[in-house]
Amino acid sequence: MDTRGVIALLYQLADDELVVGHRDSEWLGLAPHIEEDVAFSSIAQDEVGHAALYYRLLEELGEGRADDLAFLRPAGQRRNAVLLERPNGPGTYLAEPRFDWGYTIVRRLAYDLFDAIRLEVLTASAHAPLARAAAKILREERYHLLHHTTWFRRLATGTAESRRRLEAGVAAVWPDLGGLFSLGEVAPGPHFPASPEELVDRWTAELEPLFAEVGFAWPGRPAPAAAPGADGRLGQHTPELDGLLETMGEVYRTAPGAAW
Amino acid sequence: MALGAHPRFRVYEIFVQKDHQSPHVWVGSVDAGSAEDAILLARESFLRRDPAVSIWAVEQSAIHRTDYADRDFFARETDKRYRTLAGYRAANAERWRKYRRELLDLERDFVRD
Amino acid sequence: MPNHDDRHAAFLDRVQRGEKIEATDWMPDEYRIAMVKFLQMHALSELMGALPEKEWVPRAPTLARKLSLMAKVQDEVGHAQLILRVAEDLAAPLGKGREELVAELFTGEAKFHNVFHMPAPTWADAGIIGWLVDGAAVVSQAALLTSSYAPYARVLQRVCAEEGFHIQHGESICLALAEGTPAQRQMLQDALNRWWEALLLFFGPPESNSPSAAVLFKYRFRTKTNEELRQKFLTKYVPRIWALGLTIPDPQLRFDEEAGRWVYTPPDWSKLKAIARNQGPLSQYRLGLRRLSYEQGRWVREALLAPAAQAV
Repeated sequence: MDTRGVIALLYQLADDELVVGHRDSEWLGLAPHIEEDVAFSSIAQDEVGHAALYYRLLEELGEGRADDLAFLRPAGQRRNAVLLERPNGPGTYLAEPRFDWGYTIVRRLAYDLFDAIRLEVLTASAHAPLARAAAKILREERYHLLHHTTWFRRLATGTAESRRRLEAGVAAVWPDLGGLFSLGEVAPGPHFPASPEELVDRWTAELEPLFAEVGFAWPGRPAPAAAPGADGRLGQHTPELDGLLETMGEVYRTAPGAAW
Repeated sequence: MALGAHPRFRVYEIFVQKDHQSPHVWVGSVDAGSAEDAILLARESFLRRDPAVSIWAVEQSAIHRTDYADRDFFARETDKRYRTLAGYRAANAERWRKYRRELLDLERDFVRD
Repeated sequence: MPNHDDRHAAFLDRVQRGEKIEATDWMPDEYRIAMVKFLQMHALSELMGALPEKEWVPRAPTLARKLSLMAKVQDEVGHAQLILRVAEDLAAPLGKGREELVAELFTGEAKFHNVFHMPAPTWADAGIIGWLVDGAAVVSQAALLTSSYAPYARVLQRVCAEEGFHIQHGESICLALAEGTPAQRQMLQDALNRWWEALLLFFGPPESNSPSAAVLFKYRFRTKTNEELRQKFLTKYVPRIWALGLTIPDPQLRFDEEAGRWVYTPPDWSKLKAIARNQGPLSQYRLGLRRLSYEQGRWVREALLAPAAQAV
């Protein structure tokens, strides 16, 4: 059993979910429709909850306390895809948040689709605790995907402006997609029985028809790898992640190990 | 603000069925653009802490309602016990007691021999 | 056909006898307008009330607290949604819907609760808000469960149930800080010192002569006075605060057995005037956040309402 491989995989999963859940949580109280603010927050909580589950699995494998793993590791040790650390838009949640709902919906759809495929692969993982966790989490992804695809359709077919903004979101997300499919230092094997190519195949098969349905030009198949120097799965991150981690750990770092 | 100055959401009344032994129950309403959206939103507006097996969304304008002021619509003034359990239980029980007494007497005769 | 005055008198009679009013009942304009205003203020207060604690969501210091605070703030937005729906149904005959009721927040026509104009500069403030501000809100809201306006009373049942979780969540944070390092204890004490006046101001001045309050009492929309509610709050929470070893920044505060009430240094009631003009410490900042997100989101709402969406 390749424990190092399982651990590396778990960091990717945990860091992906924590970073995207954190970005999602910045929308709280600021979403464009009050009922949607509530719904979107549940999705954010699901992601943070999944992250907590993965960090606990890492704790069980001897990596340290879950909260320390979540709050203390510097950017160079993080294994989330760069797509997820990108800001929601100009400004910050405290100052002039001009967050981009079009970008958010495309990012979330792209990620949750990838995550669902990754989880399906993991249900066959040789690492039993991970396989079990994946099966449970996968069921929660159903609502996420329904939510994101519904929104994608609404914005694509709503008004000329919403269509334009959604298209801009697609253009902004696309360059970062390769980094999502990178497995970093993890090699396909019994703990993760699929290759990045296969993930891209399955992801494309799901998403391309949706683009066709709404009459969006397909921007092209994502590469199964990040651009050089931009692979979050190898710890290559943007300054945005530094800012995110700074904020996220601000209180925790004043007394790590203290009870909060 | 003139009526119609802003685009208006439709209101969907939401009914939730918690399990297959239970009927759908009204839980509240959401502003949404369509019934499909309403259901998606309703799941988190109303079911964050409760299990369910089904959600119905019904456009508010599709609901036909009685008038609260029309109390006579619901009037039940005369004795309706003829169609209730209470209307029969006591009288039947009294009659069964008579048969039970006879039954007991028969048993005594047999037992005594 | 009875004239308006007769119907009004009959309505007042119903309400004073304890009967409940539903959305589709005939009601005098005075009742409808006063209820819409009150409901709108409550709803907008929940919406604005999400913002102080939301400041701490991205900075919550453990995964468990992050989740808990996200859920708590989500509930506040959910409460805004529940109460807005009640307000919208009542306001429909006045030609007002969701957009109008929310937009009035930005024109200043509609106010939000004074307590949410206050700063929350540390993590401990998030704990104090969850425990004591929500505690104060529950005291107010529980008193409204018998409101004559039935749709509001019904929605408050769900709201009050969720507030129960909020108070537990807030207590949990405060207990952890009170039992923590000296720095954590001090953070908690500092937060309490900051919030104490706001907690007294929460319930409004002791004698409320406002015409709008008079209408609410007349129609049994509310039945308890500001001072009755404040006393209830003090009775419930002062012993608990003292039990944690915290000091309350009012040397006069004590329970007068003979009078059967808490004696306290009156807060500066005039601060409420500035807040009512949206000139409180963070009024403009928080309104700015809400206004910006509202404007930023306009194109999204328009897309949701486009004919293609409604065809589904």
